[in-house]
Amino acid sequence: MKEMNRVLDHYNSKVYKNRKEHMVAVGNNDNNNEILANVRTIPGIITQRGCCYAGCKGVVLGPIKDAFIITHGPIGCAYYSWGTRRHKAKKGEGEDNYLQYCFSTDLQESDIVFGGEKKLKQSIEEAMDLFHPHTIFICSTCPVGLIGDDIHAVAKWAEKEYGIKCIAFSCEGYKGVSQSAGHHIANNQLMKYVIGEGDREITNKYSLNLLGEYNIGGDGWEVERLLKRIGYEVISTFTGGSSMDDLKNSHQANLSLVQCHRSINYIAELIETKYGIPWMKINFIGVEGTIKSLRDIAKYFNDPALTARTEAVIADELDFIEQDIEYYKSKLKGKTAAIYVGGSRAHHYQFLLNDFGVRTILAGYEFGHREEYEGREVLPFIKPDADSKNIESITVEPDPKKYHLYLSEEDINKLKEEKLIGYYGGMVKDMKNGTYMVDDLNHFETEEFLKILKPDIFFSGIKDKFVAQKAGVLSRQLHSYDYSGPYSCFRGAVNFARDIAMGIYTPAWSYVKAPWKAAPILEGTVGGEEAC
Amino acid sequence: MKGTLVNLNVNPCKMCMPMGVATAFYGIKKCMTILHGSQGCSTYIRRHMATHYNEPVDIASSSLTEEGTVYGGERSLILGLLNLIKVYEPEVIGVATTCLAETIGEDISRIINKFYEQYPEHKKVTIIPVSSAGYGGTQFEGYSNTLYQIIKSVPMDTRKNGRVNIVTGMLSPADIRYLKEVLESFQIDYILFPDLSENLDGGYHPNYDKLPQKGTDIKDIAQMAGADYTIELTPFVEESISVGTYLQEVYNVPCKKCNPPVGLRDNDYFIQLLSVITKIPVPRALKEKRARLLDAMIDGHKYNSEARAVIYGDPDFVYSSVRMCVENGVVPIVTATGTLCSGFKDMILMEIKDLMDHYFIDRYDILEDVDFQTLEELAKERKANVFIGNSDGRRMAEKLGVDLVRRGFPIHDRVGGQRLRMVGYEGSLTFLDDITNVIIGRKETGFREELLKLYYKPEGTYQAKELGYDELEDSIALTNGKTVESEQKDINSSAIKASENRDRDQDALVHKNTNRNMKEKTIEEKTATHPCFSCGAAHQYARMHLPIAPKCNISCNYCVRKYDCPNESRPGVTTHVLNPMEALHKFLEVKEKVSKLSVIGIAGPGDALANFKETKRTLELIREKDADITFCLSTNGLMLPQYADDLVKLGVSHVTVTMNAIDPTVGAQIYKYVDYMGVKYYGETGAAILLSNQLAGIKMLTEQGIVCKVNIVMLKGINDYHIPDIVKKVKELGGSITNIMPLIPVKGSVFENLPLVSKDELMAMRSNCGETLKQMFHCRQCRADAIGTLGEELSTIKNPSVHIAVATKNGTLVDQHFGQVSELYIYEYKNGASFYKERRPIKKYCDGASECNNNEYKIKAIMEAISDCTAVITMRIGEGPKNQLKQQGIRVFTMYDRVEDCVLQAAALITDGIKNRKKDKEVLYDKA
Repeated sequence: MKEMNRVLDHYNSKVYKNRKEHMVAVGNNDNNNEILANVRTIPGIITQRGCCYAGCKGVVLGPIKDAFIITHGPIGCAYYSWGTRRHKAKKGEGEDNYLQYCFSTDLQESDIVFGGEKKLKQSIEEAMDLFHPHTIFICSTCPVGLIGDDIHAVAKWAEKEYGIKCIAFSCEGYKGVSQSAGHHIANNQLMKYVIGEGDREITNKYSLNLLGEYNIGGDGWEVERLLKRIGYEVISTFTGGSSMDDLKNSHQANLSLVQCHRSINYIAELIETKYGIPWMKINFIGVEGTIKSLRDIAKYFNDPALTARTEAVIADELDFIEQDIEYYKSKLKGKTAAIYVGGSRAHHYQFLLNDFGVRTILAGYEFGHREEYEGREVLPFIKPDADSKNIESITVEPDPKKYHLYLSEEDINKLKEEKLIGYYGGMVKDMKNGTYMVDDLNHFETEEFLKILKPDIFFSGIKDKFVAQKAGVLSRQLHSYDYSGPYSCFRGAVNFARDIAMGIYTPAWSYVKAPWKAAPILEGTVGGEEAC
Repeated sequence: MKGTLVNLNVNPCKMCMPMGVATAFYGIKKCMTILHGSQGCSTYIRRHMATHYNEPVDIASSSLTEEGTVYGGERSLILGLLNLIKVYEPEVIGVATTCLAETIGEDISRIINKFYEQYPEHKKVTIIPVSSAGYGGTQFEGYSNTLYQIIKSVPMDTRKNGRVNIVTGMLSPADIRYLKEVLESFQIDYILFPDLSENLDGGYHPNYDKLPQKGTDIKDIAQMAGADYTIELTPFVEESISVGTYLQEVYNVPCKKCNPPVGLRDNDYFIQLLSVITKIPVPRALKEKRARLLDAMIDGHKYNSEARAVIYGDPDFVYSSVRMCVENGVVPIVTATGTLCSGFKDMILMEIKDLMDHYFIDRYDILEDVDFQTLEELAKERKANVFIGNSDGRRMAEKLGVDLVRRGFPIHDRVGGQRLRMVGYEGSLTFLDDITNVIIGRKETGFREELLKLYYKPEGTYQAKELGYDELEDSIALTNGKTVESEQKDINSSAIKASENRDRDQDALVHKNTNRNMKEKTIEEKTATHPCFSCGAAHQYARMHLPIAPKCNISCNYCVRKYDCPNESRPGVTTHVLNPMEALHKFLEVKEKVSKLSVIGIAGPGDALANFKETKRTLELIREKDADITFCLSTNGLMLPQYADDLVKLGVSHVTVTMNAIDPTVGAQIYKYVDYMGVKYYGETGAAILLSNQLAGIKMLTEQGIVCKVNIVMLKGINDYHIPDIVKKVKELGGSITNIMPLIPVKGSVFENLPLVSKDELMAMRSNCGETLKQMFHCRQCRADAIGTLGEELSTIKNPSVHIAVATKNGTLVDQHFGQVSELYIYEYKNGASFYKERRPIKKYCDGASECNNNEYKIKAIMEAISDCTAVITMRIGEGPKNQLKQQGIRVFTMYDRVEDCVLQAAALITDGIKNRKKDKEVLYDKA
């Protein structure tokens, strides 16, 4: 609590009041750990948050390998979202893969004055001539929303003209308060125009959708490998490494797994309403988390053979990594970590750190909502504000032909009561008293908290990576994994532990203090201090 | 495909203005930047700067929301400024707009004034507004504009202070540190503006300060108006926003603009300049560094001269790199910037022109507003072997298997972007070494394969092997695609492969046919042995033109009727017309001597079908004697519908139609009149008749299986834009190939002064149309080649004759350097007329860069090859070979004109008095 106040003291009274509500000293408050989240960023505070476009094009749509995404706007946004997230994809035979490409209409001043629709149309014509894509997405950036370009009409025109699928996403950067708005917009359009269109034949009844997995550093591949080993069929992954065809067939699965709740919960719920497929919050980050998730899935499908296979695979995978885990546990036990990332990862990685005895002392989301902190039980108490009301909320009806139930309604309700499906508890339940939850942790607060809390490791993105390192704290990027990965499931856990251990024990830290300086600098915060 | 992408930017080679703004402000002491707009802008820019500099990058945002865009962002910006000052306590704040703020029309100067009014206690903070819409330009403009706005916003102290202003473009922190060292070695009291050297490349210190503590002090900036000089190191900054020009015009501070010290020349200039203004002699250490760079330049020249570099990035960066490359013999084969920059093309061209001439390279590109898709295509086409630029070129580098020398901004796939150097003698040395090493690396890994290709594999087996190799590569690519993260799809490769295969197939067919009884050949087989329709055949089979058709029925604007049709024969030479009987005799004579004679062509001198009686009779006579020979005919197509069936009956298998338009309005500009059924039709009416007859005629022929080639004369500004449509039409009609030819201007014709199409334009047109229909790339305008057999006939006559060897690419113009030719055209001069005789392959002795004089062995071989010649006509020739030729008694003429003219002129001089061609002597200069 006092650490929190030391950080907040730098602010003027107004900002103090606002930021105080974004910080929770877990178990040490009279507010039942309530947090303020998903509200506007304070101007002038250097936030790590991105914009609506980043959430839509960068996060949700970007990983779809065969969608030809045209960023409609001036050049900057397209450039900055080009190859910056390490979402991987395999190119199947006869498939397109545009992940390495960046397409922009590169609007100029005259287009802003006279409108950019014509240029967009011409760009689509050129795209068709040159690349012959079967799917084009149009993502708009800030000025497009203001100059009145009707990108949805252009999309309709392109569909008619070329017989392709063309979907427009009005994801101007100023919409909403963070990337989160972009996720919602992407979810809406995928639900409206993509999901349910496929007619691939699915024979395996243990069929799954893997929602909210973007295959950063190959995470999704590792999850898929594991699920396949047990006997599941992953019909679609939203959206890491998926093709349009995969997404179109997602309505045929019998269960949706939700990895990143924040970015995909809209689709998870809409699919359930429209096609009858329940969703289950799982977590494949961390050994214990993975084991629990696998057992939960087996419980849903409720087949003794499947359960037995699940246990066998768990045992085998554990056997494979056991020695490594023990070794790294010995190296990492007792270390402390702060995590500030995403809208789900700050929660998931606490499980993985736990596996190795690393304590998380501060965690926060860039763009999480209250339910990611406190659990879905707070949903009825969240009042929509002006910013969230601006994002369309779509509703769907059960599809008369494609609605199907794997379990009886009675069983589903039972599982829902058990909170096995349709529920997410948020991070706070997994955080110990005396730790901190901080929403929208900004650049300044990062520096201050690092100084005060002195964690051994700070997990974040690239923007806050260097400030940590300058402060003598090991940094790992949890957006892009610093070129490493996968970190998911059993084997990923070993990769992760190896990366952390390598970071903590790198010889470089031992030279931090120059021989001609007397005062200790690191005060025993990292390994190798004996050399100081 | 290239050049069609006008609207879609595929893989951008540029960023937006605010990126440059933020970079420039990072060079100011205790300065923070706030972007007025959506928070994504600052997040994205921070992310990219952080990966390049490996440093924390703090850029604030006014975090405009939808509400702000509707009601204006004033409140957000003022709040942002307040919070920024409260938390960071900056002395300077840069406020930059974004797309969003500019589009909603925010007046940030007004908002800043309001802020000062509301919060007078913050007046000590200098707030500098910069207008920087993302659509207003690239990071390059953003950076330059920011410097200008700073200098204009800071209150100036005009008292003389004896200091020197140094203004730089976007250089790496390491380069800026070097600049400071040099300035200090001359004991200069400098104001470096801006100074990124510490803030974006700091060391590890126990107390990290979140407000940049280094950089140019605002108090120093205020003194810039009282300095002795300004040295501005940014060649491409717009005059209207140049800091140096501003200080000169407003405060009378003399400004010297010079190039950043990259490469030897620009370092010399810069050092010299510092020495002059300080009156301090150049320090010894610098002299040593210069010597070391020069030494490396000499050491590396053998590799550097093989480099064909693609250089891209900011204009300043590209310009400096190009200058350094040029002084090392590195060919900047493609030079490009993503920005639109006035003067870029001209300045680059000036730098590289001489080198290109020296290397005889006429195909290179200088581009603005480029994207990486275009760069990749050009790099492939121009066979680049090194890329120089920022990390964004890594994808094309990987795809094309060419190494990338990383310089510029951003470097986000390697560490140390902030420490890469190119400034100073030492910086240039590391830069040059990096380039040289790419070339050496290629040699180390690739030379065995090249040697094998060049010297050890017999041609036939090599081709077969190559095919195998390609297939292997394909299969690897396929499996890679399946298992590994796949990168790109190659759009063009399949089309290219297909056409390659086609060529190969044809070659194979030719080989087969030579070993076979050639009776009753199919049309396909005939095509394979037709030099004009098949690439392989061009080198092996002879054809013969029979000049039996003197009359013409149309008047083309490129034609003067006193000569042969310039389209159908080389211009300026009048052929002796034969009657059908004479033609038969000539055929029989030639046939006896030239066993490979496979084609008889009727091509003029007028139009074959305007003289149909003669044409028909000639072909009938010849067919009686030779059942197998291919009949080929060229026509303007006016009479085709009438005679198409007759042609089929006569056994004509190949017809070439010259069709320069399919739109009568275009045609009217090309044809003066059409003489159809005894009436002259002018203008569009005439053109319409001609064009519809051509189209109908071609269709009639192709429907009966006749192979139709369509010749198109490319007329700049008349039909050039129209040619792709013609080709499409030809394809529709079933034509099998088009031959797009440059106009050869004829004196006295309407088009005499029409600008010529360049080879590049021609090739571009051909490759563009090649997507529609097969193009005749191998055409050497060789249609008259077979006439060379006439020489044999004429040589029996007792008049003395002269043989002359001509260095020409295709027999049209004397346009080759003697050392560059792989074959010489041999002409015979006789009785005041010249005749093409044959082509003789010779070994090139000069590869451009190496010394020509030391290749006596090769020259000797050439001497032997042309020992029967009296003279050589060439565009240029080295002194060594010239002297040797002279010693052999072979005279050398250096000329640049049409081959026939040159031969006549030279022959006139040699035979001295056969005919006086005084006026011709004016263009002729004999150095012998």
